[in-house]
Amino acid sequence: MTTDLTPLRQGLAARLSGRAGAGGPLATTGLVVAIGLVVVLAFGQQYAGSVLVLAFTYAIVTTGMAVQIGFSQQIAFSQSVFMGLGAYGAAMLNTHFNLPTLAAAPIMMAGSALVALLLGSVVTRASGLALAVATIMLPLIATGYVSSAGYLGGSVGMPLSGNLWQASSPEAIAVGNGLVTVVLLGAVVFVASRILHSDIGLELYALGVDERTAAAMGIATPRRKLELFVLGSAFAALGGAVYAGTQLFVPATLVSSAAELSLLIMLFVGGRRSILGAVVGALLVQYVSGASEWVSVNILLVEGALITVVLLVDPEGLAGIVATLRARLARWWRAAMPPGPASGPAAAGAAPGVTAGVSGGAAPGAVGPRVTGWQARPAPADGAGPPLLECVGVSKDYGGLHVLDEVSLSLPARGRFGLCGPNGAGKSTLLGVIGGTVTPSAGRVLLGGTEVTGLPPQQRFHLGMSRTFQAVHLITGRTVLDNVAVSCLDSHGSSIVRGIGRSRLNEARGKAAEALDYLGMAALSGRDVSSLTLESQRMVEFARAIAPRPRLLLLDEPAAGLSEPQRDRLKDVLRAVGELTCVLLVEHDLGLVAEITERIFVLGHGRLMFEGGPSEFNDSAVVNSLLIGQ
Amino acid sequence: MKFGNLVIAGIVTGSIYAVFAVCVAVWYRVSNILNLAVGDFAMVGALGVDYLFRVENWPLPLAIAGTLAAIALFGYAYDRVVLSLAQDRRRHEGIVVTFFFTFALSFFIEGIAQILFGTNVHAAPALWPGNSLTLGSGLNIERAGILVLGCAVLSGGMFALYIRYTLSGKAMEASGENALGARIVGIDTRQYRRIIFVITALLAGIFGIVESPITGYTYISGATISLTGFIAAAYGGFRNPGRALVAGLVIGVLEALLGGYVSPEYGDTVMYAILAALVLARPRALGFESAVSN
Repeated sequence: MTTDLTPLRQGLAARLSGRAGAGGPLATTGLVVAIGLVVVLAFGQQYAGSVLVLAFTYAIVTTGMAVQIGFSQQIAFSQSVFMGLGAYGAAMLNTHFNLPTLAAAPIMMAGSALVALLLGSVVTRASGLALAVATIMLPLIATGYVSSAGYLGGSVGMPLSGNLWQASSPEAIAVGNGLVTVVLLGAVVFVASRILHSDIGLELYALGVDERTAAAMGIATPRRKLELFVLGSAFAALGGAVYAGTQLFVPATLVSSAAELSLLIMLFVGGRRSILGAVVGALLVQYVSGASEWVSVNILLVEGALITVVLLVDPEGLAGIVATLRARLARWWRAAMPPGPASGPAAAGAAPGVTAGVSGGAAPGAVGPRVTGWQARPAPADGAGPPLLECVGVSKDYGGLHVLDEVSLSLPARGRFGLCGPNGAGKSTLLGVIGGTVTPSAGRVLLGGTEVTGLPPQQRFHLGMSRTFQAVHLITGRTVLDNVAVSCLDSHGSSIVRGIGRSRLNEARGKAAEALDYLGMAALSGRDVSSLTLESQRMVEFARAIAPRPRLLLLDEPAAGLSEPQRDRLKDVLRAVGELTCVLLVEHDLGLVAEITERIFVLGHGRLMFEGGPSEFNDSAVVNSLLIGQ
Repeated sequence: MKFGNLVIAGIVTGSIYAVFAVCVAVWYRVSNILNLAVGDFAMVGALGVDYLFRVENWPLPLAIAGTLAAIALFGYAYDRVVLSLAQDRRRHEGIVVTFFFTFALSFFIEGIAQILFGTNVHAAPALWPGNSLTLGSGLNIERAGILVLGCAVLSGGMFALYIRYTLSGKAMEASGENALGARIVGIDTRQYRRIIFVITALLAGIFGIVESPITGYTYISGATISLTGFIAAAYGGFRNPGRALVAGLVIGVLEALLGGYVSPEYGDTVMYAILAALVLARPRALGFESAVSN
């Protein structure tokens, strides 16, 4: 039951969170601001209003967290610290320099961005658990510092007098504070959704799926991670300044690990991969905690139970739950409607009879340079010019273990080449050395005569190298077209701020469409990748690899898990692409390798044991003893 | 003698951190979940015994047995309900989501403790009452500290022997190495996750009871202990109980020395700064190799 729902559900989750284009930045922002304004104007002067204003304040922070943590999977426990920095800074500027809090907010944002830049350039070198562990100590350090710093009010906190909105009557102040908070929240939501909808947003999605794949697609992962850290910190600081200006008190507990965990709970309750979810999560948790005396006293118990239940029901939080309900409703609606031509395309997506795949229109005959759209880069005629790829005496040791031992090979500008060898022979390591994920202990790698030995994967990508990995790493919740467009982005050199203004995503989509067209997969381009079969997912990865028109295409076991007819289709595609560019194929399927490649390299115990054409490959005693065990 | 006393105090606190770090590391090996609620079980141990003994007037042995039974029962129920729903019935969500279940558990336990035990500092009655012992020339060690060290050596040794010399210990290792592979060869990894979870919770409870006369506990004391244990476990790469143990001891001694020589207020701050810097400067050497990008 639930498995049937998955594609539909994820598509809807995407819609709901504004992922797949529907519900654009303006709509999301408009919704948040409109509801916020109504709430503030209706309840602004009551207790409920003050609870909601606090909730909007936290929503400013969690929106930044959705971009930084939710989409990009960079878990950093630093928000409470930067929120505290913004709050204390605004309070200091207000108390000592008589600066209005509203004017102090941008100053503290800029200041925090600068601090985050310095801190982040060290911290974001790490990722995954190391990042989490290094940053989990930030709230501890900050709490230790703040609670003994007399000028910040020590372990109690710091009062201030400057309201966010200056007015004569308390009522006007309450409403004004609320309105300013809502407008600032709207601005933050707008910026966040604009970025996520832009070409740079697509880079962030890719970063969130797999950092290694993102780097192989040319994405400057260290830079993006740093920018995310700075962005999240600046938003947190803004939230902190708003907190100071609306609560008129900065408690020392604002920077504590407990505050950090509360923020994370808001984000995860709402749905970590949804801007609206982040806002709703903050509203819900804050509203619940302010709604009754019992709850505010026992907030730990309530938050603990709430997050457990929500995550058990759906790891995507409330946004995911709502998406599931909508999908159920849609299914029920379709089932209730009599089948007719009108329900054609929508129903086809979920009907089990329609197998997604490179089939039908994309039969072998259709594959090939039939469309002029996609073309390889102009390459010199065979035999002419320097070799495209050269590995010279490449060795790799792990401790005393020699994984690669003086491997040298060279590939021309066009053709299909195979790399074989038993498990542990060093195939993947050699591919890593060529691709830039593994640094060789000795030896050099040259691409088109340029030395690339020390270059990171993203720079090799820009020199014309493209690759696939054994495991499928696609962005679920986005379309086939967008997944292919990841490798066609032109935004790698731009800063994340540009994503707010101009997006060149459509140009990348155009190039992606050409590649899909070339492979006969145009019909799939609007589908969510999670609704595809393994074969189609592999073909999407393949399309993504060829879309930037690489000079060198590295394929790591493209046929793994495919059926016989699927393999036949893959062979046709590889033959066609190999006429235009240089393809290096790492594959266990010796038949496939012998059939379609023109030259085969066999690795054994880290050494190059054999190099030759398919017929020699089939007859070679060395190959037989190594690979077939005869 | 200041140095010697600080080192002794540091070793006592450090051995607590070490035990918690070992608990985190051992369970992570089995379940691939980081337990951030382990310190809260210590808090429940200390405050539960105090509550049953002082308020409800139970005899001390019965109070201890009752508290530990409650911890074991709660741990078992939590695994049966929440963890089995979270981990066994849906596809693997990765560390980001499972992280939150133990966060939430920690919040939940603290919330219940707040209702049951209030917000004041309490401690279980000393199991070995009396003044601190004086060794030689001015070296002092509290009796509870000796008990803590004894328990730490005993439990650590038993864990090591169990993993090394028993079949079920090896099976447990296997289930952490590759859960699917272990299941295929007939090891019930879920059962190990459950057993180790309950054992570590009990162990934490015992340490809370033994140690609480030294520091005293409130309902939120567990979070700090968990965090320090987590950090110590991190220095063992989360999977290496031996290194986690050493890291816990080092952190305890470092904390005591910084508190004694640098500044009582900023000691912890400086320590965490040093620890954070270490993670960033030498991630590979500290066992983060898989988590670090180039």
